[in-house]
Amino acid sequence: MNRRAKSALLLTIILVMASGLLVNSHFGDSSIAKNRLVVATTTSTVDSGLLSYLKPYFDSKYNLDLTWLRLGSGQAVEVASRGDADILLVHDRSREDSLVDAGKGTLRITVMYNDFVLIGPASDPAGVIGQNASVAMATIATSNSSYKAVFISRGDGSGTHSLEKRLWSEAGIENYVGAPWYLSAGSGMADVIRIANEMGGYTIADRATYLALKSTMKENLGLVVLCEKDPALLNPYGIVLLNSTRYPNIHYDWALDFLLFLVSDEGQSLISNYTIAGEQVFFPIFGCPEAIGLPSEEVAVSYIYSLLSVKGMSDR
Amino acid sequence: MSGEAAVVFIELRNVTKKFGAIKAVENLDLAIHYKDFLAVVGPSGAGKSTLLRIIDCLESPTSGDLLMDGVNYEKIDKLSIRQRIGMVFQNPVVFNTSVYNNIAYSLRFRKVPDHVERKKVGDLLKRLQLINLQNRKAITLSGGEAQRVTLARVLVYDPQLLLLDEPTANLDPYNASIIEEALIEANREYGTTIVIVTHDIFQAKRLANKVAFMLDGKVVEYGDARSFFEKPSNPKTKAFIDGEIVY
Amino acid sequence: MSSFEIIVDGLWRAFEIILSGDPEIMGITMLSLRVSITATLLGAIAGIPLGYIIATKEFIGKSFVTAIINTFMGLPPVAVGLFVYLMLSSFGPLGFLRLLYTPEAMIIAQLILAFPIVCGITISSVMGLNPKLKETLTSLNAPTLWQARVLLNESRLGILTALIAAFGAAISEVGAIMMVGGNLLGYTRALTTAIMLYTSMGDFAIAIALGIILLLIAFAINIFLTVLQTKSRTKSSI
Repeated sequence: MNRRAKSALLLTIILVMASGLLVNSHFGDSSIAKNRLVVATTTSTVDSGLLSYLKPYFDSKYNLDLTWLRLGSGQAVEVASRGDADILLVHDRSREDSLVDAGKGTLRITVMYNDFVLIGPASDPAGVIGQNASVAMATIATSNSSYKAVFISRGDGSGTHSLEKRLWSEAGIENYVGAPWYLSAGSGMADVIRIANEMGGYTIADRATYLALKSTMKENLGLVVLCEKDPALLNPYGIVLLNSTRYPNIHYDWALDFLLFLVSDEGQSLISNYTIAGEQVFFPIFGCPEAIGLPSEEVAVSYIYSLLSVKGMSDR
Repeated sequence: MSGEAAVVFIELRNVTKKFGAIKAVENLDLAIHYKDFLAVVGPSGAGKSTLLRIIDCLESPTSGDLLMDGVNYEKIDKLSIRQRIGMVFQNPVVFNTSVYNNIAYSLRFRKVPDHVERKKVGDLLKRLQLINLQNRKAITLSGGEAQRVTLARVLVYDPQLLLLDEPTANLDPYNASIIEEALIEANREYGTTIVIVTHDIFQAKRLANKVAFMLDGKVVEYGDARSFFEKPSNPKTKAFIDGEIVY
Repeated sequence: MSSFEIIVDGLWRAFEIILSGDPEIMGITMLSLRVSITATLLGAIAGIPLGYIIATKEFIGKSFVTAIINTFMGLPPVAVGLFVYLMLSSFGPLGFLRLLYTPEAMIIAQLILAFPIVCGITISSVMGLNPKLKETLTSLNAPTLWQARVLLNESRLGILTALIAAFGAAISEVGAIMMVGGNLLGYTRALTTAIMLYTSMGDFAIAIALGIILLLIAFAINIFLTVLQTKSRTKSSI
């Protein structure tokens, strides 16, 4: 290549790369760098669309940029406990409590709940429709002497997976892992629903992801809700405020803003107004966890009320 | 040589070869007889290499005719033509295997039986003095040794016509002389017709019985070696022989 | 645990796992090997002859075809995974084959990634050979298959490089096989997707252990291929 061609090529490469930089710096709505809050949360939370729904309200009220990390439950907790996120929103009570016990989180509060459903093929080969969740699981396990049904598990230690394991133990079923009718998918909720769809199998899914998938896949989704509204299928969400002394680099104030926003009247009513395909999927429950059988959170709740009234966000 | 009728083997009639706008060979006439040892000389760019490539069907002429034994090339299939021709290029190209295998290659796809192969390869190893090198990897050889291998590789299938494009141009005298001896032997004892393109006047004088002088794509003078060198008819030929044409 | 501690712990665990021959890990490793080696071999069986033909034959659209293959060398794996998923899913054209969430689907996805790599590098290796070589073979009247043997032999360093690159791409692939395989324990869980799973579970140490095993495998296969490369220099092949 002669010198002129070489210089032309070099100039082109530089121009292309420079334009890439320019584009990136203008990416997003404006050239003002907005203050970014990072929430570590789970795949099912993100896939439900709730956070995207809340974002514009939160962003405009606090002049912040709400962003989130879509992770497995375990990873979300890990990331938060390294201070790589500003705040944690998951549905895994024992892990949430461990964070507070270890001093990594200063405050843990139940914010809302959604519910799980047992979904399966419309033909329902194991015949579980309308049953109690754990009874249905037992039916699926035992009907499989003739392999009438396949069960797909998240298999990933997620909140969903933990709930599934609790149901198996309530149903008295033990050796399901490795059984020919039991598939451990090691995937996220949407993927697991797709796998169950392909194989005509059963699975436990959070209603939100199921509804969201149903609205995109429409008639291609052959799974229907077979068991629901069982108290054992309720899925409470907790927020964990991280310890600002231990993690000096997190944006503690913004994280607190997010927490207060979610538990405020405005936040709670936004949560209940969020629908997928016309159905409400999240139920606000701040301040009254006892209503779904959870232990009382008096201390944390009253502390938060005091903060809320200081900020004029509540008249209680 | 004397007392034998000079039978025409290959003939070129009014052959022109153009590469785009450039005429490498222009209205060229040439007759090559059986058992000739023809040296083709001339300055660079005269079209000598193109001439050889056309004869070996590596290029096809833009216009004009080639005949082999009086039959037009177009009527004969290329494989049959090439079967009787062996070509050696200026820069040796050897295969990444032993010297023996390089030479045997041309016999192997001709499905020559093993014992025949061994005999013929052994014969050529002797003629080109390659016996000591037969198990060496050909790519590790020097340029001169490699060129001997390429010559052996074509001689092994007994071609009737041998085309060589400046085969010893880059070689040291020792290797060059081995090659020249093999060529002389091929021509005198095995009756192989040889056409050699060379820059080296002295080589032409040493080896050839016929010489053709090419200039700008044409054969300017052709004749038997002695008269060519002693009494060239064309003044340009004389200038070339005297080294006056710069090339 | 600090990051450093996690990595060291991972190293230890990798050691333990390999020595203990944990059956689950063995199964995962075997699946990864089976899928990637098969995909690479199939890619070679299709890609080397096709690459040779494209390199040595003159035809209309030759540069276009070569450019297409070179472009496909850089196919984004997740896009390939999505495409294969859509083809194989029950509402896709090939759904009747019931290949989704099987190792065969994973092989298909990795084959689509490996094939252009092998083909493209074969093309450039053969085209990069001394043009006098092909001419010599032509003037010797060697039949096509014999010419191919010599030319492919001369390009074998390049071709082995192609195999190494293709295998590397296959064994380290994660997005496509996650989508078409489903990461099902005991059936379609490979090393890469297992690493994803354990990472998402926050179990970083095991994830690192698996990563080390993956590295060791890649290293072993590459050593094998590299030895082949050097050994083949001393063997004749015509």
